[in-house]
This record gives sequence, C-alpha cells and structure tokens, in this order.
Amino acid sequence: MKKLRTFENIILDLSKYWQKKGCLLYQPYNSEVGAGTFNPATFIRVLDNKPWNVCYVEICKRPRDGRYAENPLRFQQFYQLQVIMQPAPDDIQRFFLESLECVGFKLKEHEVRFVEGDWDAPTLGAWGLGWEVWLDGLEIIQFTYFQQAGGLELEEIPVELSYGLERIAMLLQGVESVLDLKWNNKLTWGDVYRQNEIEFSKYNFSAADTRLLVSLFNQYEAEAVRLFEKGLPLPGYDYTIKCSHIFNVLEARGAISISERVKMIARVRALASQVAQLCRQKISEQSVSEKGVKR
Amino acid sequence: MIDFLLEIGFEEFPPAFLSKAANELSDKVVGLLNRERIFHRSVRTIYTPRRIGVLILGLTRKQKPKVVEIQGPPKRLAFDERSQPTQMLKGFMKANDLKRSQIVVRKVKKGEYVCGKKEVVGTNTEDILYEEIPKILKTLEFPRTMIWTKGGAKFPRPIRWIVALLDRRSLKFTFAGVRADRHSIGNQHFSFKPIRLEKPREYINLLRHGGVVVDPNERRKLIVKRIKKAVEKTEGKPLYTNEMIEEINCTTEYPEAVVAGFNEQYLDLPEEVLAMVLKTQGNLIWLKPTHLFVCVFSAKKKALQNVKKGYTLVVGSKLYDALFYYKNDSKQGLVRMEAQTKRMMWLKGLGSIYDKAIRLSDFADFFKGVPELNLDILERAARLCKVDLLSEMIREKDFTSLQGIMGGHYAKASGEDKAVVSAIKEHYLPRFAGDKLPSTKEGVVLSIIDKIDNIVGAFLSGNRPSGSYDPLAVRRNGYAVVNLVDANSLDITLFNAVDALLKLYKKDIKHEILFEFFTERCIRYLQDKKYRYDEINAVLAYWKGDIVDARMRCAALKKMSGKAEFTKLVIGQKRVRNILKDVKGPGKVNTELFKQSAEKKLFKKGTETDGQLSALFEARDYPKILDLLLAMRPDIDKFFDDVMVMCEDEKIKKNRLALVNLINRIFLQFGDFSRIVIEGEKN
Repeated sequence: MKKLRTFENIILDLSKYWQKKGCLLYQPYNSEVGAGTFNPATFIRVLDNKPWNVCYVEICKRPRDGRYAENPLRFQQFYQLQVIMQPAPDDIQRFFLESLECVGFKLKEHEVRFVEGDWDAPTLGAWGLGWEVWLDGLEIIQFTYFQQAGGLELEEIPVELSYGLERIAMLLQGVESVLDLKWNNKLTWGDVYRQNEIEFSKYNFSAADTRLLVSLFNQYEAEAVRLFEKGLPLPGYDYTIKCSHIFNVLEARGAISISERVKMIARVRALASQVAQLCRQKISEQSVSEKGVKR
Repeated sequence: MIDFLLEIGFEEFPPAFLSKAANELSDKVVGLLNRERIFHRSVRTIYTPRRIGVLILGLTRKQKPKVVEIQGPPKRLAFDERSQPTQMLKGFMKANDLKRSQIVVRKVKKGEYVCGKKEVVGTNTEDILYEEIPKILKTLEFPRTMIWTKGGAKFPRPIRWIVALLDRRSLKFTFAGVRADRHSIGNQHFSFKPIRLEKPREYINLLRHGGVVVDPNERRKLIVKRIKKAVEKTEGKPLYTNEMIEEINCTTEYPEAVVAGFNEQYLDLPEEVLAMVLKTQGNLIWLKPTHLFVCVFSAKKKALQNVKKGYTLVVGSKLYDALFYYKNDSKQGLVRMEAQTKRMMWLKGLGSIYDKAIRLSDFADFFKGVPELNLDILERAARLCKVDLLSEMIREKDFTSLQGIMGGHYAKASGEDKAVVSAIKEHYLPRFAGDKLPSTKEGVVLSIIDKIDNIVGAFLSGNRPSGSYDPLAVRRNGYAVVNLVDANSLDITLFNAVDALLKLYKKDIKHEILFEFFTERCIRYLQDKKYRYDEINAVLAYWKGDIVDARMRCAALKKMSGKAEFTKLVIGQKRVRNILKDVKGPGKVNTELFKQSAEKKLFKKGTETDGQLSALFEARDYPKILDLLLAMRPDIDKFFDDVMVMCEDEKIKKNRLALVNLINRIFLQFGDFSRIVIEGEKN
C-alpha cells in the first residue's frame, strides 16, 4: 500500500524541493489577496531586476468562486504555492516537472499538458506569457514568464509558478472533492474550512454591505494616493491590495456593471502602476548613490 | 549526397500559429537552397508543440558551379586588324586568369565588348548553411513574442535547444543564446534524457522512440485513427471538425485516445453548453447524443486510466457548475431577470441595462422599412436581448461566451415567440472578423441596432477609440455594422440612423465625429473587399452613409480603373479642381457670353448628360453613369485645348468658371475623381 501524502506533507515536500533549488522560503502576506502575485515578495521584487528566488504559500481569496462548499472543486479560498525565480533558469521546465515527481506523480503514468495561457493581472498592470499546466485535464499550475508589472517592462525576466495545492493533493490522494482531502492523518480539508466556505459564500454573495464597501474602496484609494505623495509606495501598496480585494467582493456581490467593472479595474491598476513607478525610482536612486560610494 | 536536419526546440508553442511558423521556416530554407544552387531531393516540414524544423534529404556537398562573365575592353580595342588579341586584351586575360577559349563578344548598350567567361567553383553547402540559417531564424515573424533572458531574442516561447546536422557534422551556430548541436529532446513523459543524433536520417525513428511523432501529417492521421479505434465499441458519433483535429495536432506529440463520460443528468443542458464545455476543456470530442466523449492526449499509454479519471472529474465539475447556474436562472425566470436589469448600470451616465433595452426597442422603429422584417418581433427581441447579462450563467466568466445563446434559451422557456428567440440568440454575431452572420432578418437588424448603440454609447461616455485605445471594441462593432448592412443589402443610410439614435439619447454631441468614425470603418471594409484606397476615397468624398451604394460605386470604378480613357478623365478632373480651388461662389452660366464653339458644345453636352443622369442614379446603374461621364471627355478636352478660361475679360472669365463648375458638379454626383491617384503621380 502506498503511503498517503497528506496536504501538509505536499506543502512541505514542494517547499523543500524549491529550497534546494535555491529559493528563500517566505510566508503568506497579511492582507487578503487574490493570488500569490500580489504578495510584495513577488510584485515589488520583480521590479528591481536583481536575482531573487523565493517560494511561499499564499492564501488566495476569490470571492466569486465560492459555492457554499457544495461544488467539489470551487471554493472562495484556496492555497497557492508560489515560486519566483528571477532570472528564470534555462532548465525551469524540467525543474518544474521534477517537482511533480518529487510530490509523487510518475510522469509516465500521467499527462502533463502545457496549455497556452497568456496571463494578465489587470488590476496589477502585469502580464506575461506561459501556460496553464493541466495534469490529467485538471489545471494545477500557472507557469508564466513575466514581461511587465505595474505597467513597467521587466528586464531580468522572472518565471512564476503558481501551484494550486488543493488540486494537486486531490489527484495525489485520489479524492473527488477538495473537502475530502486529508490535511493530516486525522483531519480533512473540510474539517478545517467547510464552515468558513459556507459563511464566506453567504457574505460574498448576499451579506456584504455594498455601500460600506464602495465607501471603503474610495477611502483606501485616497489613502494610497496620499501615501504615494509622501513617497511611501510600500504602505501605499497595502491600500492598493485592499482596494483590489474590495473590488472582488463587490463583483461577487453583483453590485457593479460590466462597464463600471472596467473603470474600477482601471482605478486599481492606476494605483499599482504608481507603486511600480515609485519603487523603480527609488531603486535607480539607490543604485546611483551606491555607485557614488564606490567612487 | 548528404542530408540536413534543422530542429528548433522550445517550450510549448502557441498552437494557433505553429504550423504557419514551421511552413515559413521550411519555405525559407528551401528558398535559400534554390537561391544558392544547392540541389536537394526531398523536404519534410516538421512541427510538434515543442519543435519546428525541416528534414532535407539528398543535398549536394557544394553549390553548383556558376559561370560569371567579366567585362573587358571594347571589341574594337581588343582585336587588331587581323583579329588577333591586342596588348589590351592580353592584359585583361592575364589579370583575370583567362584563356583564349573563354573570351566571347557581348553586345551591350554602349556597343560590342569582350567578356571573359569564368566558372566559379561552388562554396561548401556546410559553410552556406552555417552562415545563412541563423539569419533565416531572425527573419521569422510571429503575431506575439516574448523575451526570456535579459536583452535576449524575441520568440513566441523560450528556445531551449537547436539541432543542426549536416550528415554527421553539427553546425555549431548560435541563435537566441542557444548553440546548435546534435541533441534533441523527446517527449518529457518518456524521458528527460537528450536524444543524441549521429545523422539526420535517424531523426524520425529515434524521436518516435522518444515519444514524438515529428511529422505533422503522419500525426494527424494517427489522431483520427486513434479516435476511431477508441469509439469502436460505443454508440454515438464523434463530433469533430478538421480545425479541431488540427488544433489537437498542434498540442500533441504522441497521440493516444480514451473514452470518458459525464453524468447523464447533464444531458438536460442546452447542446451549446455541452459542446462549449467539452471544447474548452481540451478539445474533447463529443459522442453525440450520448454522455460520452473522447479525449486525445499526449503521454504514455500507461497514463490512460489516470487521464480518463482526470477528465471525467474536470468535465463533471464544469457541467455541475453549468447546471447549477442553468437551474437557478430557469427558476428565476426571464421576467425577474428583466426587472433586475434596472439595477445594473450600463456605461457611465447612460442609465441601466434596462434603459438600453428600451432604447434599442425604440430605435428599432427606424428600420421598419426593411423588407421581410417583423417589427413587433424585433422590438420584443430588443427588449429582452440583454436580460441574460443578469443570469448567473453569463455572469460567470467561463460561460460569458454563451451570451445571447442563453438569453435565447431563457426566452424560449418563458414562452416567447420562436423568431424572438432566434433574434436574441444571434444578435452578438459576428463576434469577430469572418464569424458567421445572423440568419434571420430580425437577428440581423437587432445586431446592427445593438452595435450602433454600443458605438454611440462609447462616444458619449468618454470611450472614443484613439490609437490602440479602444476599451469597448467599438471599431470591431463598427466594422460589423458595415458588414451586416452590406451582406444583407439593406437600404439604410447610416448617418440618418445615427441621428435617429442620438435623438433618443437626448445628449449634446456633434454627430460629425460619429460620421467620421463610420466613414473610416467603411473605408476599412471596402479595402478588405479589395477596392483601392484612393478609389474608395473618391466615392466616399460626399458620403451620406449608404454602404451598399458605396460598394456598388467602387465596383463600377474598379472596372474602369487603369483604362487609358479613364486616366485622361481623371487628369481632366484634377485640372478642374485646381482651377476651381480659389474660386468663390461661381455664378450661373450665361449662354449669351459664350465666345467659342467649344464652350457651347461642352455646355450642351453637360446639360444633356445631367438630364440623363438623374434617372440612372435613381436606378443605381453606376457602370452606365461612368460611361456617360466618360463620354463627356472629348468635349471637356476640346474645351481646355481651345478655350482660355483665365482670360482678360472679367465677365467672360467668370462665365467660363461657372461652366467648369457646372461640369464639376455633374461629376461630383458620383464622387470626387480628383482623389484618384494615377500612375507616375506624386502623392
């Protein structure tokens, strides 16, 4: 009998694998985000064109995807394992495939399909080219070579791997619902998160106070702008992230029209691009002063 | 005879332009061989998701030798009276290492010269390929590229290896930071180990062994064979098109196939939903009408059970979602969804989706003259066509592409007329250039109404396109409107339609910018119909927005274009325009003031022609109209030859200008001929 890989062991195995490849083991961010890309360990770090290899788990919130814990694959919150390698190594695709073997997939017994997926995060003004990686038809990873972030061209091209941990675990454990995943040998994913899913689905779809959220959005946006003016892009970025999450809740709540949606995305993107520009500016100032010191 | 293999290996390439890239590469390599006089026996174009290449058998080792001719002195200086070589010729022969037998006489423009015929030995094929292949790789063009190393080459996906083998020798050139060598990579499901190639002829078999069928034609046949084999024992017919097979071909290195299924309860979903889900989940092939489908995959046969399990799960989950939405939407019903459209805002400052629907329905009246159109049906469909934007199904991004189609289903469920249902279903068509058009009159007109409203709404809400900025895709909408009107031969004046809609908006906006927008879209449309830009410009100079009419005029012009008679006419019109350029308010012609017969004749011809033209314009007989205009040419030419327009006598000059203006106005009824560019003219 094969030993069952628990959810927590999969996280540990993947983290160790990427640690061996030279990644710094980081932690999730302390604010609601829709993807690991929002974490400053990605968004801010890819702007400076310096070597940066990192791996961390991110708790991703996608309010629209909640299904009251009734759909086996759809949840408003899930775990991503995020890997950034900057610059992207030549062997990155093989590293990635080996990481799948390392958690227990024999490539000879599965199909790994690289499905063209031009990735973009409209609220971050970021885009890249790469793939959705499907394992036996199930999308488990987003594999992207970043080209732009915060509206700025990147020079050292980072590669981003975003593993959908629940989905990988489902395939490994052979269960048909995320809820049935063994987290450890005693508890399932459902034991840990079922109630959370039900309550947040209700919140996102019907209980959220849209008037409050719209007002918060406006205030956070104003605060971000004020911080930018003070030359504080990092705290300003925190408020940018908050705006992005509020937007996601409003959208799930069905409170914004298609065209308003476009406008709100543009507003968040404007904040993100200001963050990017301010950070770039600081980086170039620093490198100028470093050169000055050397002289 | 030697063989050549070129393989560019990369991470998975976008399937949409894979075969085009491979063909471009192979054409360019063959072009190089032909240009360089390198004989070759056979060419095989290679592509899989992870490589493009070309395998060429039976090349010569060297270029075919070339005979060049070196020009020497003139014949008269090369030979003396006894036809013996002079010192001059001897010097020329010595300098170029030529024998007497290599000397010939050639007649050139300046007279007869001697030439030395010399055979140049061919360069090694190896040297040519080594030099030229990297240059060819640089010229490949793609719709979208990326970079993967700092300051590195651009390509659709990162290049990871290159094989360039000329027989047993590898050509070690460098492209995109990768050094070409003799190691290929097989199917990664089989092994990561590079495949070492000793010579090109091993390529196909060694790669097959490594899990890659490199020849796309062979692979395509194999895919169909595998599908047929997989469905042998099942009922139902595999539903696929050639495009689907080719897309599978571009995403597969080693095709295997397996049949999987979904829960039969999902057969309750509309067919379009089932087909869309199966298509987007990896080109799965539906065994209609059963709950089964075929999955073609690209891995080891051993993976079959896992693949089957995986796709069953994924498809099941997607269909679960679809059915969940569909049931909720059906429970909610069309009426309640419509009520909700009042709460969903459309564009900023332009009211709700509900307001838009009312406006579309009011706007429908403008089109009441369209033959075979049922206005009641159209108005009803206009009221309901946006209701599905409030459905859960369409609000989910995986299913948004079914907008309209779901609206039709929900309308049908609540007992709407069949024609209303089809109009709603079709009104997003065409979604892209070359997409199919709506099949019913109400569908066509509803699509036009909706798109004109999208355009006007975009302009009113500050989303006017400029440069690459076109957030609401109004250019595509505009093109579709022109296409729909023309394809259905609708007798509609677009500018009047815009005015009618603006009245409904009650907004203050200058309609000229919208006219300009539609004119520009019409130009693009007619250009795509292969009409010349300057001729289109001539026709649209005084355009009122009648597309069918504009196209007919362009067609008539195209037939004339290039004929000598017509060119002279255009030159004449350019002259007329020049003369009239600075003239303000030319008055009426006074026949009393005619001094020369050419004036009288032209006036007579002009008024005669003008009289005949009105009926022809009514009948839109443009070829005939052009014939009549052309028939005026002798009189016009005679006039300009004989008559001095800008004469001393102010009165007579004015009268002559009035005559020129009269003629000009006759021509302008058709278009502004002076905008037509004639050969040799600087523009």
